[in-house]
Amino acid sequence: MANERTDLMQGTLELLILNTLARESMHGYGIVQRIHDAAEDLLKVEDGSLYPALYRMEERGWIKSEWGVSENNRRAKFYKLTSRGKRKLEAERANWNRISKAITKVLQAT
Amino acid sequence: MRIAIVNLLRRTHRKKTAFEVDEELQFHIEMLERKYAQQGMSDAHAKSAALRRFGNFERVKKQCVDISRRNSLLRRILKISLILIALTGLAIHTLSLDYRVARIGSVLIIIAVSGRLLLYVRGLSPWIFLPGTQTTLSVVSDTPKDAART
Repeated sequence: MANERTDLMQGTLELLILNTLARESMHGYGIVQRIHDAAEDLLKVEDGSLYPALYRMEERGWIKSEWGVSENNRRAKFYKLTSRGKRKLEAERANWNRISKAITKVLQAT
Repeated sequence: MRIAIVNLLRRTHRKKTAFEVDEELQFHIEMLERKYAQQGMSDAHAKSAALRRFGNFERVKKQCVDISRRNSLLRRILKISLILIALTGLAIHTLSLDYRVARIGSVLIIIAVSGRLLLYVRGLSPWIFLPGTQTTLSVVSDTPKDAART
């Protein structure tokens, strides 16, 4: 079965990562699983490409990482939101709501 | 001597970064393998399905190491030093009444700007210009049954 895919706009993955980390710190695998579960598998994140996004976000100071122990006693790198990341999340949420409202209005008008 | 120490530190840092990135990515693949094995796949199938779902391991690793290198402590110290050199040069250049001393200020500014440019160029990696290397997030119209079946 071939899945029809529509790429989402730039920055959406960052918003989802920030939102996922707002609850608790997580490793990369946990972030992908949480996004898949929350979207009921309708959103697809390419697993490998999550990591450059995480590293870029850490570089920008939105998240920070530290090594810890995973649920199966393996050493894993956990990411958590910084205060700058929290502000970024609020701004991005507001931005997303504005865009989605605007697009909905346009679609309803035509 | 100092250059040799800086090079050694840089090489050690890069190796450590590469090792940590490798460990982090391997963890992800192992978690995927474990998930597929729990779904009833054989070890070999679980491994290949995990690798397929993860994507190009070496490319992802290189991207992460490059971003880490861009963000290293040594680099930050260098950037701050270059700013200080530029400010010192600017102060000497504007405050000095002697032409020769003012020229020293200009040379300091040139050194700082060149150093900053060099850092910027070294921080650029070819992969950011290549197509298909961006982070991908997409909406799937049909719920995927299993990564192994795709």
